[in-house]
Amino acid sequence: MTINPLALDRRTRTMMVILGCLILFSAIFLGAWLYGEQGQVTNLALRKLPPGWNQPFGTDWLGRDMFARTIKGLRISLEIGLAAATCSAIIALLLGLAAATMGRIVDVSVTWLCDVGMATPHLVLLILISFACGGGAKGVIIAVAASHWPALTRVIRAEVMQLRTSDYIKLSHRLGKSPAWIARHHFLPHVVPQFLVGLLLLFPHAILHAAGLTFLGFGMSPHTPEIGTLLAESMRYLTTGMWWLAVAPGLALVLSAMTFDVLGNNVRALLDPKTLRE
Amino acid sequence: MNVRHFLIGVALPLLLVVTSCDRQQKVSADTPKTLTLILGEENTEGFDPTLGWGSYGNPLFQSTLLKRDADLKIVPDLATDWTLDDRQLAWTVKIRTGVVFSDGSPLTARDVVYTFNTAAKAGGVVDLSNLQQAEAIDDSTVILRLKLPDITFIQHLITLGIVPEKLHGPGYGRKPIGSGPYRLVRWDEGQQMIVEANDRYYGSKPSIKRLVFLFSTEDAAIAAAMAGKVDVLGVSSNLAGQKIPGMTLHVVKSVDNRGLMFPMVPDTGRKTPRGLAIGNNVTSDIAIRKAVNYAINRQALVNGVLDGHGRPAFGAVDDLPWDNPEIRFKDNDPEKAKAILEEAGWHDTDGDGIREKGGKKAEFEILYNTKDSLRQGLALAVSDMLRPIGIKAVPRGENWDRIKDELTHSFVVVYGFGGHSPLEMYKLYHSNGPEPMYWNAGFYVNPVVDKYLDQALLAPSFDEAIPLWKKAQWDGKTGLSTPGDASWAWLVNLDHTYFINQCLDVGRSQMEPHGHGWPITANIDQWHWICK
Amino acid sequence: MITRFLVVKTCRLILLIAAVATLSFVLVNSSPVNPVDAYVGAAMLRISPDQREVIAKRWGLDRPPVERFGRWAGQMATGNLGVSTIFNEPVLSVIGKRFVTSFWLMALAWSLSGALGFGLGLIAGAREDTLLDRGIRLYAYTMASTPTFWVGMILLMIFSVSLGWTPVCCAWPPGLSAEQATQWQRLHHLLLPALTLSLVGIAQITLHTREKTIQALRSDYAIFARAQGESTVGIVFRRALRNVALPAVTLQFASLGELFGGAVLAEQVFAYPGLGRTTVEAGIRGDIPLLLGIVLFSTIFVFTGNFMADFIYHLVDPRLRKATGAIS
Repeated sequence: MTINPLALDRRTRTMMVILGCLILFSAIFLGAWLYGEQGQVTNLALRKLPPGWNQPFGTDWLGRDMFARTIKGLRISLEIGLAAATCSAIIALLLGLAAATMGRIVDVSVTWLCDVGMATPHLVLLILISFACGGGAKGVIIAVAASHWPALTRVIRAEVMQLRTSDYIKLSHRLGKSPAWIARHHFLPHVVPQFLVGLLLLFPHAILHAAGLTFLGFGMSPHTPEIGTLLAESMRYLTTGMWWLAVAPGLALVLSAMTFDVLGNNVRALLDPKTLRE
Repeated sequence: MNVRHFLIGVALPLLLVVTSCDRQQKVSADTPKTLTLILGEENTEGFDPTLGWGSYGNPLFQSTLLKRDADLKIVPDLATDWTLDDRQLAWTVKIRTGVVFSDGSPLTARDVVYTFNTAAKAGGVVDLSNLQQAEAIDDSTVILRLKLPDITFIQHLITLGIVPEKLHGPGYGRKPIGSGPYRLVRWDEGQQMIVEANDRYYGSKPSIKRLVFLFSTEDAAIAAAMAGKVDVLGVSSNLAGQKIPGMTLHVVKSVDNRGLMFPMVPDTGRKTPRGLAIGNNVTSDIAIRKAVNYAINRQALVNGVLDGHGRPAFGAVDDLPWDNPEIRFKDNDPEKAKAILEEAGWHDTDGDGIREKGGKKAEFEILYNTKDSLRQGLALAVSDMLRPIGIKAVPRGENWDRIKDELTHSFVVVYGFGGHSPLEMYKLYHSNGPEPMYWNAGFYVNPVVDKYLDQALLAPSFDEAIPLWKKAQWDGKTGLSTPGDASWAWLVNLDHTYFINQCLDVGRSQMEPHGHGWPITANIDQWHWICK
Repeated sequence: MITRFLVVKTCRLILLIAAVATLSFVLVNSSPVNPVDAYVGAAMLRISPDQREVIAKRWGLDRPPVERFGRWAGQMATGNLGVSTIFNEPVLSVIGKRFVTSFWLMALAWSLSGALGFGLGLIAGAREDTLLDRGIRLYAYTMASTPTFWVGMILLMIFSVSLGWTPVCCAWPPGLSAEQATQWQRLHHLLLPALTLSLVGIAQITLHTREKTIQALRSDYAIFARAQGESTVGIVFRRALRNVALPAVTLQFASLGELFGGAVLAEQVFAYPGLGRTTVEAGIRGDIPLLLGIVLFSTIFVFTGNFMADFIYHLVDPRLRKATGAIS
């Protein structure tokens, strides 16, 4: 048994971690907003500088400050990831519920759809959908949203199917409640924790996949590039020794993804009564 | 399977491999037999001239009827004589005898005819739609019949490599037998191409017998050059500032230009048949266009965005034989720009630094292809230069497809052109461009200019067309250039930068067209080693 | 029965391919990317509308979509996947050539990540809650949040650019032809890309193996063995291994899809001329026949992986064997 110096129980610790994560994300959004146009301003006199006092992450080949660009890029990556993951999760929720409650045909169709969705390697599917949407940030969001729902759908479906066999549901049915009512009042509340955790854990995947897509050149965002684009641009300068163009944005991405992971796992711990009061 | 097994079975051998791997010998300096080049993108489609291989100038494996020398003058290659008939509808070309393909079979007029007729139907990136028919009169005379008179058709005689009729088919691109100075020995797709001198070549035999072309990303190429494994390396200008041991920087002027295209008509709600918006209310005012031209400091653009590797551009065809030197003007003159705007009625009445006229602000967006950092740099820098004169130009990166398919007729766009044929000028400025109009996207119309351009196409010879091309730019009273209608703000001409092994002499390079890399091989049969 | 198993799987594969093919074709057709524009590219200024029509005819783009799908599906059934617009070669031949190159990369990465991941998972599970375990877990969690291509870039910067130990690109030293390149040289060029894929790919298998190892060590037979004086290491190697190995192997097979995706990214970073890079090119340059061909090919690839995982489970797990009847 580990001794906890602050004598906080697990629940409190978890909440503090969650709070910490949320503060970090707010800081990113705030920082991006505060920086305003700075990531765009070129300064041809200050090109290609390594990290130093005035430029913590260095400058790029047009003299733009890499710190500003990284923060802004991170914000865009987060936005894209959040938008895509949320869409995906909602799709998964609806499909999972439908599969478990609307009869055998719907169930088989949804399961079949999941299989098809998972039949191709993830990145190939992303490339295909991105191509179909003609690229751009919109294409990336659609591609990521359209490819991440199968796994969560299965989880929700399994959860609800299990629920259906429990006594109180059967009772409800006997008492004459319609399937829609049962879905809304019994299944939904029960499934929400799973949904929330699933959503949070989808974020890092969505963010990383979006970065991968833009790195490959599919989602060149017109206005401000996100991390994948920053990294793709920095590839051209790797051998000339401008290492700061790649290390900083990448690290920022990794840390963000990890933070979401931590957030998701802690929320799961919080919502799961079994591990709550350890 | 435990850690011990892992170490012995996997990690140790790997370690041995890494430390004992053989480093490649520095081939170039010691044994100058093979020339290694990294020039640019791989021609994934293969080396079939009927599909467009070599259309930038010289197909390497095949030979062409005519070619251009270092001064871009047209000189004979396979052809010994070429005449255009009175109605400008038929070229009669006599070809030299005794030419054989690299497999020994003779090259006759039938092969020329086959090549032209096939290229017209092949659906590749070479456009011979004006060719009616090619016919062989005898073994060494060909008649090329055109549908419409067009002096620029001569460009195809300069760039279309001749393929052997008997050996040509769908797989020809991967086994291109031709009569050029070199022949393809081996192609490892995605990696490299091995090429050797063609012993049966009819021209001056190349001094360098073996070439290896490598295809790789830019920084892998530079790393290879640093390691002494490359003799000729094409780099983009922003990477030309470094030092590579054993190599010198070879700078080649080009007509590869970049400029701002202005929508020339006001926005009246009109749309193209495909639904694209036409016109811009700010740039349709000639005062704005001229002011932009005069305010920009082109030399600063060259220094800042191109790292000094370029020269200012004042027109679309700078320094080509059909360039009109009278269109030059003194730029970097913000005072003159302001005067022009003031006189035309653009005043800053509300003190926000942006001029207004008739209720509209002197504001527009400059679009550039997001994938192109050079155009991005130009857009950003130009925007900074226009601020002080009261014009707000906002740079905006857009997906190339969107620019082409939605925005090109109503926004200012950074475009780049530059080729060896004046046909480009015709396409950029003539008013009869059909849909889709990528070329004269600004809807520029000037009947006087149109007349000169039409007359140029109808000229009886290439040289006689030249004064007409010049008049279209400026004839003393009107023209498409800045002294005239200022339909574009041309910004810079790129220099194409190459690193060359200091023991290699590449002769005098032609002024290169748009698209850097392969054009430097135009005179590759004259290259030779100079060290011993 | 094994034949029933195979027949069922084959039917599923055919249905899957049909569904994926139809869906992909619909997707690809709704793309705003104009294939003629994509093909013409930089030569835009020299190509007149007449020529564009000739090009469209060459690629069959002047026909209505339904007819195109019918032709494509019909050809596919006979094994002809059309001609790539980028390479001017049959799609099957393009895929074949490049898959051979990628195969070695993927095989090496797969083996490395499997071996490494399994080993680390065992260690972490056997030494639960120690510093070593925490370290391994931290590594795995970090790797799960790290983009593959970034790891590749970092490795490239450190080992190829700074230290010069490994080459910067390509499948063998530039300048040599395929036959001249020795096995050692090819391996040398494979190193960093394979390492990139392995370092990132071990995350899942490490964590999974760790879980299973912990479970195994808490099981009845482990407790029994410990009561008899057996050490943890001994238990792991003599009793738990078989139980832990099976899920690990099946997981590895099921991760072939992720491997393919990782290969796409790694090949891009290292300019490795394999199928991954070709996929990106096909997508960016709008080569529809090739893109569709690759989608189908990769579907079969993933299916094979899952099939192998299933098959091995059926073969090896005695409980399943009993349930489904004798499979020898």
